[in-house]
Amino acid sequence: MVKSVVPLAEQEPAELRTASIKELQSNLRKLECSLRFDVLKAEGISTGVAALDSILPDQRLRCGTLSEWIAAETGSGAESLAVRVASQAQRRGTLIVLDRERRFYAPAFESMGVKLETTIFIRPESRADELWAAEQSLRCSGVGAVLFRIDKLKAQEFRRLQLAAEQGTAVGLLLRSMFAGKQTGWADVRLLVSSRPSSARSFRRRLSVRCAYAKGALSDRTVELEICDQTGALQSVDSESP
Amino acid sequence: MTRQGLSRVSTQNHRKRTSRILCVWLPDFSIQRLHSEQPETKPVPIVLFDESGSQARIVTASAEARRHGIRQGMSLAEAQALRESALFLPHDIHADTESLRALAEICYRYSPLVGFERSNDAHCLMLDITGCAHLHGDESGLARHLVVDLAECGYFAHVAVASTIGAAWAIARFGHGAGKDRRLRSLPVEALRIPDRLIPRLHEFDLRTIGQLSALPRASLPSRFGTILIERLDQLYGRCDELLTPAPRPEPVIAEWTTGEAICHRNAIGYVCTDLLTEVLETLRSRNRSLLCLEVSLVSETAEPIILQIRLTRPNDSLPHLLKLLELKLETQPVPEWLHTIRLEASETAVQQTRQRDLFTRQESLVDAGAVQRLTDRLAARLGSDSVVRSQRLPEAVPEQAVRYVPLSEAMPDTPSPDDCMAATSRPLVLLTKPEPVRVTASEPGSPPEHFWWNRQSYSVAYSTRVERIASAWWQDDGSIHRDYYRVETVTGARFWLFRDRRNNWFLHGVFE
Repeated sequence: MVKSVVPLAEQEPAELRTASIKELQSNLRKLECSLRFDVLKAEGISTGVAALDSILPDQRLRCGTLSEWIAAETGSGAESLAVRVASQAQRRGTLIVLDRERRFYAPAFESMGVKLETTIFIRPESRADELWAAEQSLRCSGVGAVLFRIDKLKAQEFRRLQLAAEQGTAVGLLLRSMFAGKQTGWADVRLLVSSRPSSARSFRRRLSVRCAYAKGALSDRTVELEICDQTGALQSVDSESP
Repeated sequence: MTRQGLSRVSTQNHRKRTSRILCVWLPDFSIQRLHSEQPETKPVPIVLFDESGSQARIVTASAEARRHGIRQGMSLAEAQALRESALFLPHDIHADTESLRALAEICYRYSPLVGFERSNDAHCLMLDITGCAHLHGDESGLARHLVVDLAECGYFAHVAVASTIGAAWAIARFGHGAGKDRRLRSLPVEALRIPDRLIPRLHEFDLRTIGQLSALPRASLPSRFGTILIERLDQLYGRCDELLTPAPRPEPVIAEWTTGEAICHRNAIGYVCTDLLTEVLETLRSRNRSLLCLEVSLVSETAEPIILQIRLTRPNDSLPHLLKLLELKLETQPVPEWLHTIRLEASETAVQQTRQRDLFTRQESLVDAGAVQRLTDRLAARLGSDSVVRSQRLPEAVPEQAVRYVPLSEAMPDTPSPDDCMAATSRPLVLLTKPEPVRVTASEPGSPPEHFWWNRQSYSVAYSTRVERIASAWWQDDGSIHRDYYRVETVTGARFWLFRDRRNNWFLHGVFE
């Protein structure tokens, strides 16, 4: 008796196929996570805004990884957003801020929810020291987040930072300018932050965040956020666009 | 008494009133020391005897031994007859002195001046806590912390604070409550620190309290009881000076290596440093202390000696950690060739604080708290302690002066109340070290900017906030700072912080990155 073989694609409806792909993706990610991370790191942190979480893989920033925060232009608000995320990560450990150019203004950190008592500012003199300090901080198990800005990174240097992050428990927040957006990187997530004109007298700053790359997940999703000038509260403007 | 004399006395009294002395009395100190060193002896009655004379005599006995009738001064044979099962040990005065010195070292955490007081065989430590109490809230807080510290070392103490050494001693030994005159007068004459032989003589005259003694004419006392009685009374009430002799501090911990054949190889230097550091740490551990600052001197035949300083954020006695810091320090410093002397000195030490772990480990404690300390030590060793800092808000309006960065290895100065500091919601995340001049166009003088050029780029302003004037007071910077700040948003949504000075020049001071 000859049995006719019907292709799988014809057997299953489109929805079922999509669900199967998602399940496979999830299994792959679990497998990858079990190889790369231990139990402590598997948790990750929320950015504090559900809309921003929704464009990230696993709806959070995983501990022991690097994320790139690329500013579309000067004054676009990318760093403010990253600092707010760092304040969420600070619940898990100390916040380390690498500031070679001595440009960060600590009182502004406090207004973004950062606890200055558990924040350490590192001010290296040279680029080599800055990279070394970043590596050491990312590798340290008691650190909650490492915030640093390095525009030009060689592939080997980036890889070293990523491996250091995987050894530690910190969330690595790498701030970069648009110049770096053209380079390839080893970060798990690459977020492109650009400013949007706010309406007059609304007292709200508008930002657009695009997930340009996410390891093991769908990328190129955008979300619009608002920061209240008076309270500093961060919230989404409207639903994300695919 | 002459007028001049009266004036001198009142000045002294005023000065005495301002000084505060804390007395720590350790009852049955020799017994407490034995219990602390040998906890297994706690349930056994202990009797200490002195065999230096022709007949062994009892020096002191524990409370349980005393209950069986054993008393100080009794012969050893008599005491053994009363309680044969008691533990009879020779009294070790040297060990008592060493232990008291170790406790004095703990007391140095509470006062810069610590002395001994051994009148009438009582083991007491005297602390001059003038100006120190606020560090622990108040005098009660300081006394409470000190008692807890002593209890952790296994010692029970009576503590009293008064204006004079005599009053503090009297209250700690015999009294309760504050060292007020009324209270002092009710204390027994034994509280005067006078020789034991004088006590029965005073009792013969039915003089039992300090109040009764004070009521007698001063002139009649020296002839009957000697000058010591008047001297002690004056010291009690602060009518004459009594100096507090500081307890000797322990010898500095130094390990040195000197050779006739100089070395230059880095590995050889590493081996020598490992040996020396091990020696330093062993000495510190024997004193129950940890390292806070290590000074390494490298003396060469060919160059000037180099002194490296490794400062830790918290006391540490881990050899691998300290060797790593030393290695990082040596990496940043060119080591001279042909070293003939290497010297390590623990220039600052502290008591190692130990924390008991929780029985039920919480999620937060999964993170190793000591890891951050080790990290900051490593960073400070390589980058310098000035490069590893924490920030402190200051109640200043001028943005550059509203924050101070303090090295992590230094103690944080008093933090002002958050209410005193200005809200920083309107401050940019990035503040330029020096305001940069910008070219600005405005519709009319005194109005907000409409267009500005910075960093070879032009920005069109869409909105700007109302002006915020920040100026320094006339007593600060000669009142030279006078700025009108604007938060501006460009047509693309980027935000900047600009100001106009008194001369109508525009500057960019920050970017809302």
